[in-house]
Amino acid sequence: MSFRQDASGKNVFLSVDSRHIPRNPLYKAFKAKSFTCKDITLHFYILDILADGQALSAGQITDRIHRDYLSRFDGSFALDESTVRKKLQEYAALGLLGQKKEGCATLFFRSDSPAPDLTAWAEALAFFSEENPLGVIGSFLLDRLGQQPDLFRFKHHYILHALDSDILCDLAPAVSEHRTVELTLRHLRGGRDYRRTVCPLKIYISTQTGRQYLLGRHSKSGRLLFLRVDAILQIHTGKTEENFEQYLEEYQAQKEHIWGVSSHSDGHLDRIELTLRHRPEEEFIPQRLLREKRCGQMEILDSQTCRFTAEVCDAVELLPWLRTFIGRIVQLKCSDPAVVEMFRQDLTRMQALYGGDADAVQ
Amino acid sequence: MGVMRMLFSEIYGSYFRVVAAILAEAGDGSLTPAKITRLVQKEAFAESTLAIPAALRSGSWPLLEGGLRPVLRHRPTMPLTLLQKRWMKALLADPRISLFAPSAAGLEDVKPLFGPDLFVWFDRHADGDPYQDPRYIQCFRTACQAIREKRRLQVCFVSQGGARHTFNCLPYRLEYSSKDDKFRLLSRGNARFGTVNLAGICSCRLLEPAESPDSSSAEPPLARMTLLLRDERNGLERVLLHFSHFEKESRKLEDHLYQLRLWYDKQDESELLIRVLSFGPVLKLLEPKELVEQVKARIRSQLALIPFPE
Repeated sequence: MSFRQDASGKNVFLSVDSRHIPRNPLYKAFKAKSFTCKDITLHFYILDILADGQALSAGQITDRIHRDYLSRFDGSFALDESTVRKKLQEYAALGLLGQKKEGCATLFFRSDSPAPDLTAWAEALAFFSEENPLGVIGSFLLDRLGQQPDLFRFKHHYILHALDSDILCDLAPAVSEHRTVELTLRHLRGGRDYRRTVCPLKIYISTQTGRQYLLGRHSKSGRLLFLRVDAILQIHTGKTEENFEQYLEEYQAQKEHIWGVSSHSDGHLDRIELTLRHRPEEEFIPQRLLREKRCGQMEILDSQTCRFTAEVCDAVELLPWLRTFIGRIVQLKCSDPAVVEMFRQDLTRMQALYGGDADAVQ
Repeated sequence: MGVMRMLFSEIYGSYFRVVAAILAEAGDGSLTPAKITRLVQKEAFAESTLAIPAALRSGSWPLLEGGLRPVLRHRPTMPLTLLQKRWMKALLADPRISLFAPSAAGLEDVKPLFGPDLFVWFDRHADGDPYQDPRYIQCFRTACQAIREKRRLQVCFVSQGGARHTFNCLPYRLEYSSKDDKFRLLSRGNARFGTVNLAGICSCRLLEPAESPDSSSAEPPLARMTLLLRDERNGLERVLLHFSHFEKESRKLEDHLYQLRLWYDKQDESELLIRVLSFGPVLKLLEPKELVEQVKARIRSQLALIPFPE
């Protein structure tokens, strides 16, 4: 964190090269939830009482709390059985405690086993806590280890997504359980809230921005929708979707034409063709095409020429990628003439930008 | 209870962790007020330095008798939550888990939090590392061991051109790129091979222990790039997000016009050049000058290949 003082005042900003840090600092946002005195006290009391493997009822645990712990203090800290019972049920839902019936009573016990050996997982946790989209959970696990491994660094590492982990954490099981979700979203420009009910199918993630999108089938229109995860405010998990597999098949059929996260509303496809020329020693150009072509095809025309072709849901999405080949493009064709026109206009503007006054911007 | 509320729980919080550490010290009989302060400063947020000791001392959290003696009968521990186990179970289906091969014991009856194909990294490069290749796995583990034990490594490496090189080095990190889906071995001791693709290593052998380098001195010096950004087509958000993994500074010059400065590794200059080009006229490169000349040359070459008359 740093600051800059200028005519407009003091500007505080956070700037970090994520390549040089072992852990995402934004995970701390999930380690700062507020709690009451009763929450923290009961946490340690309950887990301590059950630490020797006993299974006890809420009433028995309440009695022990008063007898073994609170009796040693001045009596100003009050706990009743219903508060203890509520905490026990919360911990059972989290998986910290198990429950079993004995007669009419519900008994609670610690669910320490079976459990994986975290020490043996330490290096995997260090890697996946940064690399997995729900890595914040790995960060919670790493916090339990005394000595944390420091083997890895991460290049092209986008850390901002961490702030959407809670949304992702609700979407992931909804997909696994084939459930629809009712979403409340915020328009990114207008700021207005709106709702969508979708059957969630995939989470699309860009490795070049870190941005995450929910791909789901919109219940009302039947279309596949991409929704930015950072625009989702609330999720309500709904009923099981019986046609989930069919929707997945529809997605698989369309997948071959999805370049990024956009498509035309009428579903038509754009055909695009890019021909590149390179020097014979510039083998990295066809290699680049091969590894970056996604749903497209690549063919070698001769030792200095190669061609990329694709039928995509929205060719405008390819423009940033096409511009990375500036200087080598011998032909650009697209069934949507607006795409070629935009490329042409941008190139003309770039010529003016770099050819005119030193710092002029159009 | 929804999984979301399960993620945002105080049981994962810094306060609970620090208090557990304090209670453990108290159980060992070695707790002092100074130790409480040290533990809080090490593990929690700045304001906790006042809040935690005060709550323990006053009995607001009746966990220490007389402020230092524990009331608990056991060293505080906590079982793993269901969410943690489900996340770990999901990792077992990730192809990269074979690099670590952790035991699945304890997760047998746990449902994974997500399936192996839930996440689609749609713009990831297609030539990722061979995570199932036994030779690759062996090299990965040997490199990890060398870093862990601060030992030198003899590496036999095949470059992209097909040439075979053998060199000794002191590895200090494995660097992973999600975009490239590749690990790279970062090392000292051989300037030419300071960064090599792990997939290009055909074998490696542990050598003698060596003093670990100071990691800051091992990192390459950074170069500075200055850009002028025109906020159109949502350019401000797109550019700042795209370059957000760099250390950088942005400054508003006038309405819709911003200056952006970022610091980068010289080795990545070619990659950075095409990343700037991808934004077209939204982004103008101002420095370094040599790179500006390359941009100009590419635009000139492009106009010569297809003149695109107005």
